[in-house]
Amino acid sequence: MLKAENSLGIIFFPAFDWAISPTHPEREERLLYTQDQLREEGLFDIEGIREYKPEVAETVDIERVHFCFPEAEAIATRSHYISAGGAIKAAELVMQGERDRAFALVRPPGHHAMKTVQGSRGFCAINIEAIMCEHIREKYGHKRIAIIDTDCHHGDGTQDVYWHDPDTLFISMHQDGRTLYPGTGFPKDAGGPKALGRTINIPLPPGTSDAGFMMVMEKIVMPILDDFKPDLIINSAGQDNHFTDPITNMNFSAQGYAALNSMLKPDIAVLEGGYAIQGALPYVNLGISLAMAGVDYSHVREPGWNPITLKEPDDVMKYIGMLCDSIPDIYFNPPKESNEGIINGNWSVRHRTIFYDTEGFTESQTESLLLCDECRGLLKVETQKENGPMGFGIEIPIGACDKCRNTGYSLLEEAQVKSKYRYMQMINRKDKEYMRYGF
Amino acid sequence: MLLLGIDVGGTHTDAVALGPDRIEAQVKVATNHDDLLSSIRNALGEIVRQTDPARIKQLNLSTTLSTNAIVEGKLEDVGVIVSAGPGLDPHSFMTCKDFHVIPGSLDHRGSETKQLNNLALEEAISSCRKSGVKVYAAVTKFSPRNPSHEKAIELAVGDNADFITLGHQITGRLNFPRRIATAFYNCAVWRIFNNFADAISGTLEEMGLGHIKVNILKADGGTMPLPLSRKVPVQSIFSGPAASVMGIIALCKITHDSIIYDIGGTTTDIAIFVGGTPLIEQEGINIGSYPTLVRALKVHSIGVGGDSAISILEGIVRVGPTRLGPSIAFGGKTPTLTDALIWKGSCDCGDIGKSKAGFAVFASKMDIDPEDLADKAIENAINKIHDSTRELVEEINQQPVYTIHELLENRRIVPRKIYMMGGPAKAMKMDIFRKFRLSTEVPENYDVANAIGAALTRTTTEIELFADTERGVMFIPSLGYRENVPRNYKLENAEKDAMNHLLAHLGEMSVAADGANALITSSSSFNMMNGSTTVGRNIRVKCQIKPGVVRTYS
Ligand SMILES: [Zn+2]
Ligand SMILES: [Zn+2]
Ligand SMILES: [Zn+2]
Repeated sequence: MLKAENSLGIIFFPAFDWAISPTHPEREERLLYTQDQLREEGLFDIEGIREYKPEVAETVDIERVHFCFPEAEAIATRSHYISAGGAIKAAELVMQGERDRAFALVRPPGHHAMKTVQGSRGFCAINIEAIMCEHIREKYGHKRIAIIDTDCHHGDGTQDVYWHDPDTLFISMHQDGRTLYPGTGFPKDAGGPKALGRTINIPLPPGTSDAGFMMVMEKIVMPILDDFKPDLIINSAGQDNHFTDPITNMNFSAQGYAALNSMLKPDIAVLEGGYAIQGALPYVNLGISLAMAGVDYSHVREPGWNPITLKEPDDVMKYIGMLCDSIPDIYFNPPKESNEGIINGNWSVRHRTIFYDTEGFTESQTESLLLCDECRGLLKVETQKENGPMGFGIEIPIGACDKCRNTGYSLLEEAQVKSKYRYMQMINRKDKEYMRYGF
Repeated sequence: MLLLGIDVGGTHTDAVALGPDRIEAQVKVATNHDDLLSSIRNALGEIVRQTDPARIKQLNLSTTLSTNAIVEGKLEDVGVIVSAGPGLDPHSFMTCKDFHVIPGSLDHRGSETKQLNNLALEEAISSCRKSGVKVYAAVTKFSPRNPSHEKAIELAVGDNADFITLGHQITGRLNFPRRIATAFYNCAVWRIFNNFADAISGTLEEMGLGHIKVNILKADGGTMPLPLSRKVPVQSIFSGPAASVMGIIALCKITHDSIIYDIGGTTTDIAIFVGGTPLIEQEGINIGSYPTLVRALKVHSIGVGGDSAISILEGIVRVGPTRLGPSIAFGGKTPTLTDALIWKGSCDCGDIGKSKAGFAVFASKMDIDPEDLADKAIENAINKIHDSTRELVEEINQQPVYTIHELLENRRIVPRKIYMMGGPAKAMKMDIFRKFRLSTEVPENYDVANAIGAALTRTTTEIELFADTERGVMFIPSLGYRENVPRNYKLENAEKDAMNHLLAHLGEMSVAADGANALITSSSSFNMMNGSTTVGRNIRVKCQIKPGVVRTYS
């Protein structure tokens, strides 16, 4: 009988009764063959590997992270609540010590969901990793967390949620935004004024294969992690870098994904994208599960895998080598100023328009951070869905100073008096107070 | 018309003959482990003396033969030939020395991704032949989706085998390592079981009972006809606990979520009912060194029984899990749970005087008041049963589900009633009731409930149907059935086909079509896409004859 080196909990929730639409890549069938593969391999008979049911996240779990307009229940479907609940269950298994590691194999994904949410973007409505991380911090005290996003798309949502948080290291490796949705994620985007160097973007050229990814792991990710010394490592495990994925252009393999996880040793992995539902997902998910459990994965092979034809050309490797030389510096010698926002008095202000591709509307938003010497700073958001009502959000961060805290409450009061906003939300992480107003 | 039930247990072989409205005969004889047939013959002889043999219609038999052979390692050498393709290293599932891995693979939809290597296959067979192997197991990964590689192995083995088990014939459920182990065991006990089946038929002939239909009990709380059992002897393992559970169903009218205890000499078996139906283990039963795909009732055994020894360690009184011989009441030396129950006046069996005297001596040696010792021993036993039950119910309530509907509906098991059987059941009834505060019932005839259960258990079977409309095929692996279907084949067609094949299969086993107990246990249909066009549907339907009894009897 096989025995796992690290005990592993797998929260497998294929949501066989939910789809964005019948022909959408994010549909009922997506994890069907993964289930077949895991079952047929007898994965859950390996000593130390166990399957668990997800929890259902509560609205407060969502509203602790996101400014939701008009409200969480209107944006997130029940499947999103369960998907986030699956990630929370994974965290609980690890935090309670029941399992060494956990893998939430759930859908729908979440890494394109930003701090402010008015609808669905890139198949995501709420950010399940962020919801999980903030659940951990709320319940188990403050933790330094590293999120390594290995989805082929830039994790723009997660980047946005943690843009101002110096205690969360967010590293996203993805197909270069000049060639793929959402078109963002460049090295110059290194974090907000109070968290410079905590956002690391690694845009990889199309055609990057196992060697390129592993070079990035060795030369960028691991040295930064060694220095950051996180309490928890999370893998935002998107699997659309696979060479058969229908919506991307990379050449990563199941062996590569397994090797990456074997090196990264994440405490928790959460499934993100990945839409080659027959030729890749069953094998990649198996490879990641085995790698996390410390069980031999060397026999995992997807059909059509040919390391020689998949191998990246020399110029691609040379380009990646260049990235490897320059990107670590962003963490070790962060820029003095954020590349986004202007300073207005003691506020750092960003104006943005965000396109919700899944639903086809635009949100315009003004986000301001109160630059404070005592704490991470108070966050304020004014937002409007095109022609829709105005929303207002204010966040008092974990570890906020009294001044920021008090300013937060007076700004909220002022907003209420002005009655300029239809919806208002206060996230007070310091006192664990979460309030919303609106109609 | 009489229905016979025989349960060959560890200590006793119990037999009953059931008439339309009462038990017409019942016997208990000692089990002779070296000659199970003689125990059965003795029990049958007694039954036949008490009844009119011409009225006997059927014999349902639960036997430990296959179980013992596996547990004691008395297994015939098997040639195991597997092909796996990508995934876990198949050598991790090596069950015996003649284990051969042949290159070749199928994927999850049953498409061949690599041809079976005929040269390697020939070499494997000739190596098995050299070792003198006469029974073979052929198992390929994803064979329930496409049995062609297993069939190719069967063809190549040909005359070299007295018997061959093909993995997909065991069940349509997926689990390659378990399929290997199950096929291996099926071969390893095949000869011993078939010799036994011959002997049973011969014995019945001799006793003038050649006309009766014989069924063998399975662990899932059903039976299979003797001729079928000859091909799948592994299905007869662990049928003992199933007989007991079926007995409770026959003797009590169970409608709520309930807990069933069968308290024996060394163990207490715990089973859970949801509504009126016993729960089935999701994957299959574990036996010997390997988990299998043999369907079984979910029965959890703990080391607490009437003969469990009482011990005191660091001032804490414990019962079990060891058994150091019988109770003092039955000539043993160490006090047991039964002796504690006798001391408290709950139990009236064996030599009461001797039991009480021995119990008091032990208590004074341990420097504890005997009344206190008895109370604490019983409390410890009840607590163990209670805690294990709670864990089991919790485990069941935690079982994974795969749809939003199932998760949100959150059908939790909340036991409302307890049924108890086995030797100490009556004596422990009040203590169990006080602990759980749930209505607790011990049926009349609880001492032969297992044989009654065996007698009344109906034939069960489970099939799984797959259809892939892109390929235009529908297949039922365990029946070896395959047919072409049109592209517009739908879930409703599949459900209907599955039920028809299930009933037809029963017909082939000469079991009257049991439509009322046939039910679909799961069914799903997934659109398969290529780009943004629907190219077909992947349809999966499972149906079964629900485990149960032909009639209740109380
Ligand atoms: Zn993606
Ligand atoms: Zn401050
Ligand atoms: Zn158990």
